[in-house]
Amino acid sequence: MGRVIVVTSGKGGVGKTTITANVGASLAKLGKKVVVVDMDIGLRNLDVVMGLENRVVYNIMDIAEGRCKINQALVREKHLSNFFLLPASQMHTKEDVNIETVYEIISIIKENFDYVLLDSPAGIENGFKSAVAPAEEALIVVTPDVSSVRDADRVIGLLENKGIEGISLIINRYDSTLVKKRKMLDKNDIVDVLGLDLIGVVPENKAVIDSENRGEILALTTNNVATKAFENIARRMEGEDVPFLNLAPEKRGIFGIFKRSE
Amino acid sequence: MSWFRRNDTESIAKERLKLILVQDRALLSPSLLNEMKGKIIEVINSYLEINQNEIEIKIGRESHRTTLEAIIPVKGVKKSHR
Repeated sequence: MGRVIVVTSGKGGVGKTTITANVGASLAKLGKKVVVVDMDIGLRNLDVVMGLENRVVYNIMDIAEGRCKINQALVREKHLSNFFLLPASQMHTKEDVNIETVYEIISIIKENFDYVLLDSPAGIENGFKSAVAPAEEALIVVTPDVSSVRDADRVIGLLENKGIEGISLIINRYDSTLVKKRKMLDKNDIVDVLGLDLIGVVPENKAVIDSENRGEILALTTNNVATKAFENIARRMEGEDVPFLNLAPEKRGIFGIFKRSE
Repeated sequence: MSWFRRNDTESIAKERLKLILVQDRALLSPSLLNEMKGKIIEVINSYLEINQNEIEIKIGRESHRTTLEAIIPVKGVKKSHR
């Protein structure tokens, strides 16, 4: 029986989909059987981020409306045989989703996987509700800015009211150079304010956009500090006590000026 | 010093965030909160002498629970109850 975890944020554009794909991939690299589910009905993106858009045949609404079996809708990732995508429908709207049906589909799927990650749409309306309904745990994604943390606080309240325990925090697009200059919220500020357990800090990294352009998952194709951050999140989810990466900007030595600024 | 502070937008962000969350986390509108405050004062006032100008009532969310905090300075027991 797998763990069902919703990846959510309230605010859009903070990197939920990227986090879902990369954390899912990192769990799969640890040998876990993982499925990521795109719950953004009508605005699907997870297939594109994973570079699987050409392999999508059926989607979650096809299962819900009886046009295919669950296994027919699952798309296997290109590099890993234990990593799958359940795509969203692009033709439906979030109002077409029956929350009970989604709940049933996910409870069948979780029998056969170690992890079911639900990529929630932005907002707190119907799409969010159907992504949260089957979840037992949650990963809250924030970027270090006032509006993102504010929206996360609202979402945490809603998740707690629903009785979801095990809510962990991921800080995405963290720029330690800015933090050091005191121009960005420090990770400890965010943890203090939200009162959640921090499970990962993903540094701002240009390679993320690059791999998305190519339709590759960063964590599977590149080896850099962001990949390491995703791996650490996966290992912490597995209960390992992994120390946090030192994201402090590199000290520039005498030849430091020749280094590319990242 | 003021030059230094102007560049420290982290502290500004932090302070703004804290204020915003206090408002967001409030369960009651200011007028309902006032109404409740009035009724609480009324009840307590019939038993204790209190300093009505120094009463502070706040609803807040600490990490996993919502709390009602009331600070009511007490001068003594009402004469009629002594």
